[in-house]
Amino acid sequence: MKHNYLIKNVWYLVVLMLIFSSTSGVFAQGIAVRGTVTDEKGSGLPGVAVVLKGTTVGASTDADGNFALTVPGGQSNGTLVVSYLGYVSHEVAINNRSTINIQLVPDAEALEEVVVVGYGTQQKQDLTGAISVVKPQEIQKRQATTVAEAMQGLASGVVVRGGGQPGSEAQIQIRGLKNLSGANPLYVIDGLITTANRDFNPNDIESIQILKDASAAAIYGSRAANGVIIITTRKGKEGPMKIEFSGKSSLQTMPRYDLAETDEFARINYMAYDNANVPRQNLNTSINTDWQDEAFRTGNIQDYNLSFSGGSKDGSYLVSANYFGNKGTVIDTEFDRLSLRVNSRGTKGIFTIGENIAISNSKADEMSGNPIVDVVRLLPTIPVYDPRNPGGYGYGNESTGRTFGTNPVAIADLEDRTNENLRLRGNIFAELKPFEFLTYRLNLGYETSSDHYSYFRKQGNWTLNQAFDPAIANENRARYSSGLVENTVTFNKAFGQHTFTLLGGQTYQREKYEQIWGTKRNILYNPTTQQYYPVLDQGNEPQTGGFAREAILLSYLGRLEYNYGDRYLFNAVIRRDGTSRLGRDYQWGNFPSVSAAWRISEESFFNLPLVSDLKLRASYGTLGSSNIGYWDYLGTINTFSTIAIGQDQHVESGATQVRLVNPDLRWETLKQSNFGVDLGFLNNKLAITAEYFIAKTEDVLTGMPIAMTTGNDGGNPVVNAASLKNKGFEFSATYTEEGKAFNYSAGINLTTLRNEVLELGYGRNNIFVGNTVTEIGQPIGAWFVLETDGLFQSDEEVQSYRNAEGQVIQPNAKPGDIRFKDHNGDGAITNDDKVVVGNPWPDFELGINLGASYKGFEMTMNWFGSFGATVFNGPRSIMDRFDDNSNYRAGVQPWTPENPNTDVPRAYYASTLNSRGDTDRWLEDGSFMRLKYISLAYTIPAAITQRIGIANAQVSISGQNLLTFTKYTGLDPEFNNGSIYERGYDFGAFPNLKMYSVGLQFGF
Amino acid sequence: MKKIIYKAALVFAFLSASSCSEDLLDVDNPNTITQEQFWLSESDAQKGINAVYHMFYQNGGFNRWIYFRLDLTSDEGYSISPWVELADWTRFQYVNYNFWEGNSNTWRDIYKAIFRANQVIANVPNIEFSDPAKKEQIIAQAKFLRAFYYYYAAILWENVPLVLEPSNPDDLPMQRTLDEVWAQVEKDLTEALPALPVQWDAANVGRPTKGAVMAFLAKAHMQQRDWASAKTALDYFITGEGAGKYSLVANFRDNFRHTNENNAESVFEIQFSDANKTGEGDGPNSNMGTNRAQFFAPRGIGWSDGQARPWIINEFKSERTQAGGLDERLRYTLFYPELEEDFGDKTYGRNWEWGDNEAWFRKYSRDYYRNNEDYFSEVNFRVIRYADILLMYAEVLNELGQTAQAHQYVDQVRSRANLRPLAQAYPQIGNDQGLFRERLKIERAKELYGESVRWADLKRWGDLETDAKVDQVAQRDPDFNNFEVGKHIRLPIPQSEVLNNPNLNQNPKY
Repeated sequence: MKHNYLIKNVWYLVVLMLIFSSTSGVFAQGIAVRGTVTDEKGSGLPGVAVVLKGTTVGASTDADGNFALTVPGGQSNGTLVVSYLGYVSHEVAINNRSTINIQLVPDAEALEEVVVVGYGTQQKQDLTGAISVVKPQEIQKRQATTVAEAMQGLASGVVVRGGGQPGSEAQIQIRGLKNLSGANPLYVIDGLITTANRDFNPNDIESIQILKDASAAAIYGSRAANGVIIITTRKGKEGPMKIEFSGKSSLQTMPRYDLAETDEFARINYMAYDNANVPRQNLNTSINTDWQDEAFRTGNIQDYNLSFSGGSKDGSYLVSANYFGNKGTVIDTEFDRLSLRVNSRGTKGIFTIGENIAISNSKADEMSGNPIVDVVRLLPTIPVYDPRNPGGYGYGNESTGRTFGTNPVAIADLEDRTNENLRLRGNIFAELKPFEFLTYRLNLGYETSSDHYSYFRKQGNWTLNQAFDPAIANENRARYSSGLVENTVTFNKAFGQHTFTLLGGQTYQREKYEQIWGTKRNILYNPTTQQYYPVLDQGNEPQTGGFAREAILLSYLGRLEYNYGDRYLFNAVIRRDGTSRLGRDYQWGNFPSVSAAWRISEESFFNLPLVSDLKLRASYGTLGSSNIGYWDYLGTINTFSTIAIGQDQHVESGATQVRLVNPDLRWETLKQSNFGVDLGFLNNKLAITAEYFIAKTEDVLTGMPIAMTTGNDGGNPVVNAASLKNKGFEFSATYTEEGKAFNYSAGINLTTLRNEVLELGYGRNNIFVGNTVTEIGQPIGAWFVLETDGLFQSDEEVQSYRNAEGQVIQPNAKPGDIRFKDHNGDGAITNDDKVVVGNPWPDFELGINLGASYKGFEMTMNWFGSFGATVFNGPRSIMDRFDDNSNYRAGVQPWTPENPNTDVPRAYYASTLNSRGDTDRWLEDGSFMRLKYISLAYTIPAAITQRIGIANAQVSISGQNLLTFTKYTGLDPEFNNGSIYERGYDFGAFPNLKMYSVGLQFGF
Repeated sequence: MKKIIYKAALVFAFLSASSCSEDLLDVDNPNTITQEQFWLSESDAQKGINAVYHMFYQNGGFNRWIYFRLDLTSDEGYSISPWVELADWTRFQYVNYNFWEGNSNTWRDIYKAIFRANQVIANVPNIEFSDPAKKEQIIAQAKFLRAFYYYYAAILWENVPLVLEPSNPDDLPMQRTLDEVWAQVEKDLTEALPALPVQWDAANVGRPTKGAVMAFLAKAHMQQRDWASAKTALDYFITGEGAGKYSLVANFRDNFRHTNENNAESVFEIQFSDANKTGEGDGPNSNMGTNRAQFFAPRGIGWSDGQARPWIINEFKSERTQAGGLDERLRYTLFYPELEEDFGDKTYGRNWEWGDNEAWFRKYSRDYYRNNEDYFSEVNFRVIRYADILLMYAEVLNELGQTAQAHQYVDQVRSRANLRPLAQAYPQIGNDQGLFRERLKIERAKELYGESVRWADLKRWGDLETDAKVDQVAQRDPDFNNFEVGKHIRLPIPQSEVLNNPNLNQNPKY
């Protein structure tokens, strides 16, 4: 039955098309009326709707503002309604004229933006929930691989981290961490529920809206707990074909550590060995390798777009092509993408059909090892190449340089990982509008990708004492597909002051992923040509495997929008979701929400000339989430184990349960209240929005750590484990001044967020992960470490450091060792002395966006700042330790009797006592303020460009991440850690890069 | 208009038709069978017990890390690994109790094995077998293996929870005393005994025999210094059903090579194979070999994370064979500076290039046929061999005051090495229980050096119970200068376990 489902819908679409194409020609006769619609300055306005009042007869203006329509016989005394977004609707009587010119005046009052709200649109002024709109131009200006990466600082309540590495995808979080299974929001691209991953070309975006509160996101029900980002892609506009080109070319540079060179390294290394009474190693001080020079390079990005678009009053098309290439800042890393999009639509009578389809091929040559850490772990005394080693590369050596760091040049050469995805993504829709007030829409979405991962390892070593491995090749090939069927009916009608919009619908989505993989060892090598044959043909010891995954989501949705006189707005949504990811008895959930707004400024009693808009909003809603694995509720048997047994050691197979499950998994539910106010001053030159929200997530689905005595392995079982609360305040203000030649705007957005754990699973009070504790009543993942208290300066200080009973607390300490706080007073430093020292969550985050233009020049600046987070500097915990050999921070001052005024303990080889990782020594203030983006653009005057047949042209220069103000000593305070419990742990994350770009854009 | 209404009706008809039945959501997992579909047949039971053996191949246990606890922490081995934390864990410098390689991994894998054994013990009784004896054998194997793992948990952490039923995610088991853990080990072994054979057929060699059960029962009793019960168990080999079934192989080296496995000396042996050359774990084709040699091989050959204390060289050299030569056991026990001079053997084909005071474990190395190591060593690990049984029997008799009878068992072991009987070589011992005990300690070390029994030996002998005795151990292994009596005799329990389970307390003084 389910397999026929898609087919049935396609069939139905075809039938519908046949039926409705027969309705053509009904309104064919009548008189012709033509004319021009102009704006307040007298320029032609394209795309203006001109409709004969009370009928469906209408047209829209072309690029020059001209329209032509045929008025049915007997209606030549009718009235034309001329409406255009942002302008006051105008009604004009035809009076038997055949030419009618109309000048529209701007609608001063309207907050004219139309916002896509999911299965429909609303005027921004009618919104009752919390929705942010990001201008696509702001995103497209920035050089970024993914949309998410480009969005930072542009909207309040939206936190973005990551990117930098070729093909890497940024992490985005809307209004805080509302669950423990990952925070990425739902992306809806042209109605298709998907992810805006690196295969998606941000240049195709026409609009982005971020649905932040429960009432706004409720129509997406179970998918929406982390917020929803709705993206629509560009469409052709009425008029002759437009050809547009944009190109950007950028250079990228990596931030760098300041590391010791050989002289300084050797001095401190000898000191550490001497202090520990270990014979010095025989360092080769004639070598001075700068591993950062070896591993890092200047990267670049090329991003080119070409689009062709156009349309008529009943059809439009857009074809856009993109090439994006990124040579990474780490050697042997690369990403490139080719994509092509075709969007089109056509209308005949009451029937509309359209499609938005993109095809892309992305290929990433991925990074091997972690050079960000390895450049620190390798010693400057190690040469890059060493012919004595298998493979010919230098790395640690037992007598001359003991370190297990990986040579990044060696691993880049000897290991090769590539990941390639060919993706087709799009939708096809049909709309039927039998009455002005009724629309039926069928939307069929489909996404499929063909994925190919390959790994090849040449023979040779990259680290000390590495075990022998032959040449190995591994490949996997996979296919992902997701099909979506949506039926919605919208009813929209005004009865006097009362306007109703009713939406009802049903959706079905099926996702499938299948993979096969194979590995071979001893890959064929031709020693004469020194060439490997890295395919799975030759070689031996083959292994193969594969797996399949499938999930289905079935939903029913309904929405009521009610508007009374543009003053009282009410919105109610109900969604019922069923998922295959939960146990059979728990598959269904209902998620209702309500919201309301009062536009006080529309009231007759409201009379504050300065205030042009005032709206109060409130909402409450519930959302579900089942963002877990495919069969997490189902206990399965692992049949992979094999044993050798018997005198002949033949192989027998075993089977057992490895991973535990909780079979009674339920929906995770988010209950969110939102209170907002929208204010406009001075004819909306100054627009302010402030929101306060409380989000409470119950039955959070997560793989909460369980006791190891259960013997569980393969991941912690998913459980409805916790209850979390997020409270936050968001504020945004923009001021826009438009003069004749000089325009400027300034915007600020501010987000504060507090998260709190209300309850944890299995009746527990806390979860300890790494150096963090997650406790009831506290934020997730607070730092739980030993507190240091300076250094001992003398033996007397060691002896006098006693607890209440007079016990010497650190009897074995020597001058220069770290003094720890004995919090429990038991006279010894143990794990029981650990305390909470700060948490990784910022107090507030701030975005500042400034823009100014004068004649053809335009300048933009985006600042982003985050304040108050406490973060763990992982790379420094490697550099500033002396027990294990790695390179040291340049200028580091370990304690010596001669140099006691330092906070760095004495250098001491081979003892972790001074360099333990679980102390507050590595915690730092993670606050920063960063110039994310700055640009200067010049639009070449039309008078010049038109001479060579170009309608418009712009050149620009820009920079990203050029300035950062921070006390954080790591590479980048804006780092990303995917672990929810260890969000603030910088394990050597790939940093944001400085980028310098030039851009060119023109159209004709 | 009619037409339109008709069409609208069609649309709604379609809408309601398409809201298909809700069994759409029942998507079956196509990849593997579920819990409910398993534990139904004899073959399921056999696979279930096999999966317990598979735990021998995982990192926390006899694939890798447990040797660091049993061999390197004892005075037979040490580590100067450049991985300082790994080395710290062999010298009683436990800082981070969650250190995976030193502590948590072994703890987790022991309980992972116990979980597998518990699944067999709970589910197999409900399966119908055509031959009920086979069913009992499977359950008995599971009980033996559960006891095996609790034995090591008792040796390492002592006060561990007893998990005896298949686990649930929310289990927070109670801590038990060491006595309770020993009682459980004894109970499982006693219950396993009747169904297990004296010897397995060729196809099943490697599974525990009655002898393996009796050996572990004896070991458990001996750790509790219950010498009488230990003797009763060991009598199996001397006067009981197992008498004559075991003997010492002629060549000592045959106990540590893949060429003469499951021989007459083997009482319980872990079967390793290099058939699967991939990583360890629960994935397809996972490694069935051991990493021990890769981690203990000398610098430049393997990871060199563990090496041998050289004091045993003097013990070997202090006594000549009846032919006046060196004890051959030294040759196959260690790589040491004079190995080539003494016996003509190079170290993995190399001249000695390491320190003058260094030595590396040679047992279980594969230098006899290759010059490097990898993660896939196929050399079976002899958990208990007959020489160990004889020395244990001698120890038990001596502790029971039957020193005179004890001599012969030590002499059997010595005679393979062509050493004279104790009475001739060390006439002063006579029947002095104390002197005999001290001599036996050396005899055990010479025979079993690097075979993962030393940590239990030191504990049993009480050598870690007073500062004075620890000082003596520290003369052989200076790492014991860090040893704090009453604390380091057991490992800290992984801190996350203590924090996440309110029924579990950290071991004393940690």
